Amino acid sequence: MTLDNNRPWLKLQKLTFNRGERIILNNLSLDFRAGELTLLTGQNGSGKTTLLRILAGLLKPRQVGFEIAGNQRNWRQSYRYLREQICYLHQHPYLFDCSVYDNIAYGLKRKKLGRQAIGAKVAEALELISLEHLAKRNCHELSGGEKQRVAIARAWALSPRLMLLDEPVSNLDKRSRGICYDLINQLQQQQIGVVYTSHEPQTGKLNLSRHIHLYDGELSTKPLQTTYPPTVIDLVKERAGK
Amino acid sequence: MESLSAASYQALYLLFTGDSSLWTIIGISFSVSVRALLYAAPFGILTAFVLAYFRFPGRRLLVSIFNTALSIPAVVVGLTLYILLSKAGPLGAWRLLFTQDAMILGQMCLCFPLLVAMAHSALQASDRRAWETALTLGASPLRALLTILHETRFGLIGALVASFGRIIAEVGSSMMLGGNILNYTRNIPTAIALETSKGSFAEGIALGMVLLFMALFLNILLGQVQGKGEVIQ
Repeated sequence: MTLDNNRPWLKLQKLTFNRGERIILNNLSLDFRAGELTLLTGQNGSGKTTLLRILAGLLKPRQVGFEIAGNQRNWRQSYRYLREQICYLHQHPYLFDCSVYDNIAYGLKRKKLGRQAIGAKVAEALELISLEHLAKRNCHELSGGEKQRVAIARAWALSPRLMLLDEPVSNLDKRSRGICYDLINQLQQQQIGVVYTSHEPQTGKLNLSRHIHLYDGELSTKPLQTTYPPTVIDLVKERAGK
Repeated sequence: MESLSAASYQALYLLFTGDSSLWTIIGISFSVSVRALLYAAPFGILTAFVLAYFRFPGRRLLVSIFNTALSIPAVVVGLTLYILLSKAGPLGAWRLLFTQDAMILGQMCLCFPLLVAMAHSALQASDRRAWETALTLGASPLRALLTILHETRFGLIGALVASFGRIIAEVGSSMMLGGNILNYTRNIPTAIALETSKGSFAEGIALGMVLLFMALFLNILLGQVQGKGEVIQ
């Protein structure tokens, strides 16, 4: 669902980032609207993760400008706001060495909510990911798919405007991927913007708003792929059917 | 010279009958070393964190200096501080020489490099994603630091236990800076040195037993804590 009528709440302008001599991101401009699901593709080392970390206010670029609610801001004026509004999830999300409940409550405690409000929000988050029964389990005892869902719930509980998911399904099996895609679609329905990175233009059942591709430090917009090339299994099924 | 078995028997007798002079020495020893560790730990761990998480010119040199400082003999630390704190020295006006405070200062200097080196190893090996995750979840840098310390707690406890072990058993610095004054600056190692030189082995053995039991207790405790960490991970 693309919300083209909405004005962008965040505009990124003239972003440049380099490591030594090598330019990773070259003069990029990008804007974000509420509930927009963006697929960001690019090869290994193309700068996808770097772009996400800059967006999340975790990495300072060489040059950037932001337009936030119509006001021009530089990095120094923006990074705290970005950290408040945007949640970044690593490719392999880091869960703290404590229970699922405490992990989800981590950010809520930083917002200084009362114990009851935290409990209610954590319960809601656990319901979202259907892991209510694992609330007291230590996060190191979870499977990869469960960890990914807990990390999404932990970010969702903070009601961010944008979630940055760095290859969230790269190491998950088919079932866990499906659950993750459903979760991401739910985030979009709740008007939470999502940037989803992948090497592949195929993203299963995701309800994408746009597809941007990062190559050689520059962004290009790609047409959305509504049909996907058949998999080997599809071809076998098709032949068996005939 | 009394036999080893007779001396050991008498040592146990002294310990279990609550010999007041013996227990005063033990009390002073623990009080001085615990305070030295408590004062040094926050600075040591913070220094280790800065060295592990920030890049700045001279960082590698500082790490090398702290690693080198691990092998400084206690008596050299004692001598250096003695010169600084003696009446003619630059810090003579503080009037610290032959006080518990001087012993604490000496023990802080001794445990600081060990604390930094071990805590640095623990923090260096910690997962950098933890720092970014804490920040992206709205933690302030200070809160994120506390989160990292919690995540690396098993390694940090190891650093604290090793540092305590180093200072509770050192004799050179305490002897020079404390002066081995009865009921004031006489701690376990200096008392052992004194009693042995007098030929009174029972008290020396009793105090040695306390040190050994403490070392055993701390190692068991450390094993338990680190074992817990392994189970979780």
